[in-house]
Amino acid sequence: MIARVFLLLWIAAALVAAFLWAPLVPVLGATTRVFYFHFPAALVTCLALGWSMVHSALYLRTRDLAHDDHAAASAELGLLFCVVATVSGSMWAKAMWGAYWNWDPRETSIFFLLLLYGAYLALRASLDEPVRRARLAAVYSCIAFVAVPFLVFVVPRLYFSLHPDPLLNTRGKPDMDWRIMACAGAMLIGLTATFFWMLSLRVRLGRVERRRERSKDAPAVPAGGKS
Amino acid sequence: MSATLRLEARGLGHRFAAGRGLDPVDFAVEGPGVTAVTGENGSGKSTLLRIVAGLLRATHGTERLEVDGRTLPASGRRDAIGLASPDLAFYEELSVGENLEFAGEARGLAAPARAAGEALTRVGLESRRDDRVAALSSGMRQRLRLAFAVLHRPRWLLLDEPGGHLDDSGRATLERIVREHARDGHVLLATNDEREWRLGGQRIALRGRGLGHPA
Amino acid sequence: MAGNASRSAAAVWAILRKECRTEWRTRWGLNAALLFAVTTLTAVSFAVGRMPDRPDVLSALLWIVLLFGALSSLAHAFVREVEGHTLTLLRLVASPLEIATGKFLFNVVFLLVIEAVTVPLFLALMGAPPPRWGTFIAVLLLGTLGLAASGTLTGALISQTRGRGALFAAVSLPLLLPVLAAAVSGTRAQWSGLDPGAPLNLLAAYALGVVAIGVLLVDHLWEE
Repeated sequence: MIARVFLLLWIAAALVAAFLWAPLVPVLGATTRVFYFHFPAALVTCLALGWSMVHSALYLRTRDLAHDDHAAASAELGLLFCVVATVSGSMWAKAMWGAYWNWDPRETSIFFLLLLYGAYLALRASLDEPVRRARLAAVYSCIAFVAVPFLVFVVPRLYFSLHPDPLLNTRGKPDMDWRIMACAGAMLIGLTATFFWMLSLRVRLGRVERRRERSKDAPAVPAGGKS
Repeated sequence: MSATLRLEARGLGHRFAAGRGLDPVDFAVEGPGVTAVTGENGSGKSTLLRIVAGLLRATHGTERLEVDGRTLPASGRRDAIGLASPDLAFYEELSVGENLEFAGEARGLAAPARAAGEALTRVGLESRRDDRVAALSSGMRQRLRLAFAVLHRPRWLLLDEPGGHLDDSGRATLERIVREHARDGHVLLATNDEREWRLGGQRIALRGRGLGHPA
Repeated sequence: MAGNASRSAAAVWAILRKECRTEWRTRWGLNAALLFAVTTLTAVSFAVGRMPDRPDVLSALLWIVLLFGALSSLAHAFVREVEGHTLTLLRLVASPLEIATGKFLFNVVFLLVIEAVTVPLFLALMGAPPPRWGTFIAVLLLGTLGLAASGTLTGALISQTRGRGALFAAVSLPLLLPVLAAAVSGTRAQWSGLDPGAPLNLLAAYALGVVAIGVLLVDHLWEE
């Protein structure tokens, strides 16, 4: 309980500091502020992807459905953060360069991640039986693991070279004022903690659901059985 | 006095979803012979046979299959077991003979065409060798399943409801095959049919909830 | 060990022949795929006309047509197995690796047949400039391997679900995009006189990566 309140206060403080205390990046102007949402969300979605894939591999090795809960939950949350990152990035692109979407390398990468999450969740949704769903989803996740480096690093560069319009990504690596980095870092910590908190909730929910399913099997539950 | 064939299960069960599957069961089966697996519809007879065949990984418990003292992992049982179950379907576009020859080739038999011919003769289908599977009656398909199961002369024969659709001569064929196999192999016969129970020396009775049991 | 390998190879060969034979007996899968590819091509040609001076657009269109053809046909090999309930038979006579390899090879052959019809038609209808055949064929082959590898794995997964064509397209698309991008890039390079080295390497690396992960995962594909 205390931890949750603390987390809330932390994020609130980070946001307040970001808006009132940290300076603006000269080139970006007022749009700097999007950075505090966009950047942490993008990193968290990558974290979620990695978490999901690791647990998929662990499931195949151990056949423990708890790993499947983690894989599914982090994929759902990863999709959420990916949408946040994509939309915030798109709004930023509109403000900076006048167009919502340009297929520049980073936009392309995040879009591919969106497709991947969508495909994974669509696959899960098409299966009712828990063990089969866990197995097939885990297999897909591991295959996707091979595709990710290509999708995220190689293909966007390839596409970018196909469209040699100089849409320079000024978001590159300018020297950022330490205050900006501090607030961004704080937001990153806050969002990461939020991710893990929501993850733990979903995983616990999955565990409780499975226990409830199993108790439906028991031929004779003693009076006053589990709630 | 070690038996060359052994199958044992400890707490072996499988759960598909709430209320469906195989309730945990213990048994040990040894040596040549016939064992009947009985239980109501939905008690998991087919599931048990699929687990023994290596097609399904059980969610609960363990089982062990031995042939000539060697324990066979689930992935390495294809040569040692022959399964005939109602859901076993063949390639409709191919002929009876082509189906069995394909099975023989894939299994790595030395003379697939000859093995197919022998299996078909054993079940009385040799005259239908060149007919497309799509043209077979249900009784003939059942015989084809039996032929498929015995094609490679496995040590363990797993028969799931083998008497389905069989006429009297088919039943006689089935009994003959079971007895032949029980001489130096073991037959697991999953069935609700009393005529088939009687073929079995031992019995594994599955206590499941069955269909329509109040949840 | 050598005995095992040759026995596995024989099993793969048997499965490949069986796939070809069953496909040939019915032919509806092949017909549907060819029809689909030709229809897509016709639509593109009708809408866009001849484009002798736009290698970038030509490459993109060629691979989109081929991608659609692949999507429509790749799930086919497994779906046929599942709908015919013959997967049990297959799993009883061959190992998962043998099954997957046999299906993969069949998918390669299937795609090559489709390409043999579609590609010349495309080149003719779209007024494409003459390709540098060595590079062009290399891109085509490596791209086909990548498509077949991803499609075989995805097909094996999808055939065990309730979903079919649409789900197959959605699930396989992220895995096919690298092939698409690299193949378009490579095809364009050979028409524009650029160096096709990078895209070719990419196609080869990706195909290899997918095959490798497939071999690692193959035992989990059907094991229930």
